[in-house]
Amino acid sequence: MAGLPDTQNFGFSRRQMLVGGALAMFVPALLSGCATAADPNTIGAPREGAAKAGGTLRIARPPASASETLDPASSLCAYEYLGALYSRLVSLSPTGELVPDLAESWDQSADAMTWTFNLRSDVGWHDGSSFTANDVVYTIQHILDEATASPQAGVLSPFVDGNAITAPTMHTVVFQLTSPNAEFASLLAGYNCYIIPAGSAGTITTSGIGTGPFKLASFSPAGPGAVVRNEAYFGQAPVLDAIEFSSIADTQGRVNALLADQVDFIAQTNLDFATASTVLASSLATVSSVKNAQWYPVPMLNSSAEFSEPDIRRALCHAYDPELVAKLATQGNSTIAHNNPVPPSEAYYLDYGLEYDPDKSKSLLKGQGLSSLDLSIYTSTYDPLLTPTALALQGSMKDANINLTVENASADSYYTDVWMKKPLMTTYWYTGRPIDQLLNQIFRSGSSYNETAYSNPVFDQTLDAARATVDQAQRKTLYQDAQKILIDDGGSLTPFFADRLTGLSSKVTNYSENGFEFDYINIGFGES
Amino acid sequence: MRAAWSIFTVLLSTVLVFTAIQSLPGDTASRILGQNATPEAVATVRLQLGLDEPALSRFLSWLGGAAHGDFGTSLVSGRSVGEEVGGALVNTLLLASITIAIGVTIALVLGMVSGLMRDKKPDVIISTLALIGMSIPEFVVATLLVLVFSIYIPLFPAVVLAGQEATIAELLPSVWLPAAALICVLSAYVIRMMRTSVIDVAESEYVRTAVLKGNSTARIVFKHVLPSAMPPTLNVIAMNIAWLIGGVVVVESIFNYPGIGTLMIRSVQTQDLPTILLITVLSAFTFVICNLLADLGAFMLNPRLRYPRSAV
Repeated sequence: MAGLPDTQNFGFSRRQMLVGGALAMFVPALLSGCATAADPNTIGAPREGAAKAGGTLRIARPPASASETLDPASSLCAYEYLGALYSRLVSLSPTGELVPDLAESWDQSADAMTWTFNLRSDVGWHDGSSFTANDVVYTIQHILDEATASPQAGVLSPFVDGNAITAPTMHTVVFQLTSPNAEFASLLAGYNCYIIPAGSAGTITTSGIGTGPFKLASFSPAGPGAVVRNEAYFGQAPVLDAIEFSSIADTQGRVNALLADQVDFIAQTNLDFATASTVLASSLATVSSVKNAQWYPVPMLNSSAEFSEPDIRRALCHAYDPELVAKLATQGNSTIAHNNPVPPSEAYYLDYGLEYDPDKSKSLLKGQGLSSLDLSIYTSTYDPLLTPTALALQGSMKDANINLTVENASADSYYTDVWMKKPLMTTYWYTGRPIDQLLNQIFRSGSSYNETAYSNPVFDQTLDAARATVDQAQRKTLYQDAQKILIDDGGSLTPFFADRLTGLSSKVTNYSENGFEFDYINIGFGES
Repeated sequence: MRAAWSIFTVLLSTVLVFTAIQSLPGDTASRILGQNATPEAVATVRLQLGLDEPALSRFLSWLGGAAHGDFGTSLVSGRSVGEEVGGALVNTLLLASITIAIGVTIALVLGMVSGLMRDKKPDVIISTLALIGMSIPEFVVATLLVLVFSIYIPLFPAVVLAGQEATIAELLPSVWLPAAALICVLSAYVIRMMRTSVIDVAESEYVRTAVLKGNSTARIVFKHVLPSAMPPTLNVIAMNIAWLIGGVVVVESIFNYPGIGTLMIRSVQTQDLPTILLITVLSAFTFVICNLLADLGAFMLNPRLRYPRSAV
């Protein structure tokens, strides 16, 4: 999924704000009324420490739609189930390193054209049959199949040919790529790449048969479901006995369920600050922040008359005070990006960006024969930070003679009518993409997710060169060169990466979420 | 004549809703695929769903099916629309019948007390509460109820966790808070209407005559005041019942209640036309029937309408 698993969650945000505010006023009053006042809670890192063995975790999630499925390759997948049910060849650690999953080891040829994965031989499917290399071949072909319409197909198809994937032994898979890619393995860590049994395309949608730590007990699209511990799991055994999922479309409904102790955790819900203080005031629940979980770019559409000129784009990049914007929009729960779209935790991150300099901004405008610039910036209630970001930018850019008019668009049609259509808008993505996917998927010429319509042959060639470079140090330099080219070109207006505020029960320990990954192994209930 | 008009009303509402949905930006294909949709994927899904056919021919073919009781299949879930809406309707009827049974009883009694004791303490209290009930939006009432009765004093669940397939037994524990929120809104209107009617009737000459004749209060209230005060109130009740069955979107959505309202909001978001159209038909039909019943009820209660000639 392209960063917005919340796509179908159109809440009533004005109502949420009103009610959130009302609750924020009432709850502390009510709680202080009863003598057992809780410790002053603050938003912070999730609780860590020993978990009791066993227990059933109850998760509330926004349903994608009545057509959601357990097929990991599909754009309609119910993604909270995936990590519990399935495994991949490799996965990404929180620090961005590749770690083994179904593949014990992997290797690439000197020209980065041939990749060999050695698979574990001790893995069984939930239905008892054995996992083999044929399942891997089938899964990747299924992802590439046009009928699947998988979002990952666009990432892999430029260099993976479905007919050139072979299984020389029961536990070896060989990919013969059509163009070199030294980062190929990292692209198989995407959550659409969970491995499914060979021949299961027709049944996987509801069977959920995988090799993961949990087995499917029940599932209904946009309804409740459950998974139970897989005793035969090949990896570290999960702490929990079971996980129950329920679908609640309304954001306020999910928060209410948490506060009423009906669920322990609400997934895909970035709490607004009023709601977060309501949750914090409760003795049952708390708010954890997931560091830099969301990337908030402000795409300037290069194909529009407004932003075809790089100097104008650069003028905007220099025009706002990132400290101020981040403080106003996120109340400090963020990391300043200096217009670099790559998160600082990424292994190939380049510490470089366009800094706040309103005078430079004005001189860039002057170079274009402009003394000031009037623009509309679109926003919606789709995510709680979008409108505060637009308003903060509006205030901050005034000093650079850039006058933004904030246009509020309907959240329902925001991603059909505004995104990739209006010259300037606010949006967000989940972080956690491998760098090769991030730069190619969102900034490469002609990519279907290129939200700025950015097109620069030098940038594209640098990415190609990086892919073809097997030496890791050299490859890192090339990916960093690509970042610098993009930033200097005014290719990305990115004020900050924000933390996601997640509501969960105070009993839950070892909660961890990285990009699209939940840690379902270590999460559990604390001793007290 | 009246039946023909009713059918016309229902038909007209489907035409209006069909046109409204057509004029919305995007379509089901882009809605269900969301932001992930590549143009090719959208085109494929559009073809699969038959969305590339002209709007008029799609509407006519739907109408043809509907005339034979076939309302088509949901564009999103692929299930029969009749089944989906039917399931949700049962859930909504459970909520509506509890709300109506409790709400209307309370409201009629309170409205009558209020009207009969005009400007005395009970009236002032009841009227003030009714005014508050009318002015506070139902989502605030719902949220306050959740705050008090499921978070502060954990008596009832805050939301329904079971999905659309929930059984009545599974829903029963969770039905009380949404019902209470709806009762607050519904009874406020009924109380106000009932109070006004009772006051009007109590001031009429025939009631004064009855008082002067020395009739007992009970006889005056039940024989003279109530039958005349009921008809205007019946209309308000009928409209409220139709509103309840047509789906109370906000309350159902806050409580995640798997009824018509939740189904409707989901279908509108995905522009699932067959589902929306069936809900429209159902909703329009309920309004028509409820109106009809209210008129019949008024007819039964009003001696002048019942015996038009002898009354003159």
